[in-house]
Amino acid sequence: MSNGRKTLVEEGTQFKGSLSSDCPIEVKGRVEGDLTAPALTVSPSGAVHGKVKVGEMKSQGELAGEFDADLVQLSGTVKDNTVIRAKSLEVKLTPANGKMQVIFGECELEVGSEQPAKDQTKDNKTPEKPPSARPPAEAAPPPETNGSPSVRPPP
Amino acid sequence: MPELTADVVLRKIKSGEKVERADLRGLAMPKAMLEGVSFRRCDLDGANFEGARLAKAVFKNASMREAFLAGADLREANLENADLEGANLQGAILVGANLNRANLEGANLQGADLGGARLTHAQLDSAKLGGANLVAAQLSHADLSDADLSTAKLDEADLTSAILTDANLEEASLVGARLRDAKLDGVNIKGANLTNADAPGLQPAGDASGRIKRYFGKGDVLRNAALEFDSGASVEIESLFEQCTIALGEGTELVVGKAGMLSGCQIRGAGKITVHGKFVERESPGIVGVTQLVVSAGGSIVGTVEQPADNTRFAFEPGCILRMKIQPKKDRPNERTGKGGRQR
Repeated sequence: MSNGRKTLVEEGTQFKGSLSSDCPIEVKGRVEGDLTAPALTVSPSGAVHGKVKVGEMKSQGELAGEFDADLVQLSGTVKDNTVIRAKSLEVKLTPANGKMQVIFGECELEVGSEQPAKDQTKDNKTPEKPPSARPPAEAAPPPETNGSPSVRPPP
Repeated sequence: MPELTADVVLRKIKSGEKVERADLRGLAMPKAMLEGVSFRRCDLDGANFEGARLAKAVFKNASMREAFLAGADLREANLENADLEGANLQGAILVGANLNRANLEGANLQGADLGGARLTHAQLDSAKLGGANLVAAQLSHADLSDADLSTAKLDEADLTSAILTDANLEEASLVGARLRDAKLDGVNIKGANLTNADAPGLQPAGDASGRIKRYFGKGDVLRNAALEFDSGASVEIESLFEQCTIALGEGTELVVGKAGMLSGCQIRGAGKITVHGKFVERESPGIVGVTQLVVSAGGSIVGTVEQPADNTRFAFEPGCILRMKIQPKKDRPNERTGKGGRQR
């Protein structure tokens, strides 16, 4: 339990390497590397580049790399060569004449109920497999739930 | 009373005399054998030719208002520029007939066989063509506004630049029909078969709000079609589209409803898309140049989105399913984008 605690990477701070925490992480500065936590918040001034595995992610900053999460709320910027895998993704629509909610570079989104079951090790906070080791999405589509339509992933 | 009686007309025809330009109003010649006879420029208003054999007969420039021609055999007859307003041609055989520029306003052509007939520039507004056979008919520039074409067969028909405003095409067959530049605002195509139809030239006229709604209802299936929607149109798809190419004009709104399924399709142009149903691309990128893409809860997209230079405005609701790649605009030689131009 986090008990209200959080790990903060403050604005002006740059962190390189692996960061694993039982507490939610808030990034106002810059993180480059692997990051594991129950939750991640990236502030507008924040940037996370690397491999990330979290339960929930809210980003208003800059993302690049591979992101695995259950729930994602996204705004800000998604850089080139980024993959976001999530059970649920939310991007809000902004007025046509307003600022873009998200600026997407060349990236990939894998979202929805057909995600293979999450690696159980994540919940145990001892991830052993990198995201790339996940089985292909078409290998074992789970039964439909909550009336969600069935769609095969692209070949 | 007609200038000539039926007996006199028959005598004249047998003796080889011409009956052209005669006043034959109300003439009654049901089931008469009049093949190849010329009634050119005759006044035949209200005449009765029910069941008559009139193959290759000439009615060019004749006035035949309210004439009764039900069941008549008029195959290869020349009715060019004839005035048939309100005429009854129910069940008539008009295969290969020349009806170019004929006035058939309000005429009853239910169940008529017009296969291969020439009807270019014909006036067919409010005509009753339910169940008629118009396979391979030439209807370019014809005015079919308010016409009833329900269950009609229009396979391979040429409807180029035809006016189909508010026409009823419910359950009509338009396989391979050509509808380029046809005016289709308000047309009812519920249950119509548009397989391989070439309908790139939709030219909706503006309503009070300036936005035209196109609706493709549940149960409709569209295959291998190329569709273009001009700027300002609003399109809703609850149907199954397979292997279709859809070009959106600037600002055109395309909504794929909950029952809508776009399989193996491609969407191009500076329009706005909302997906409540499903989209699966055939070739990558499946969605090109759209200014806005919204995927609601329950909506799904499998494919690649190529953004325009100004980027696409995305919105995703929790519950949507995405297998999506997003890529920036890629320059292609000789590219035409999003102004209603046909994209292949």
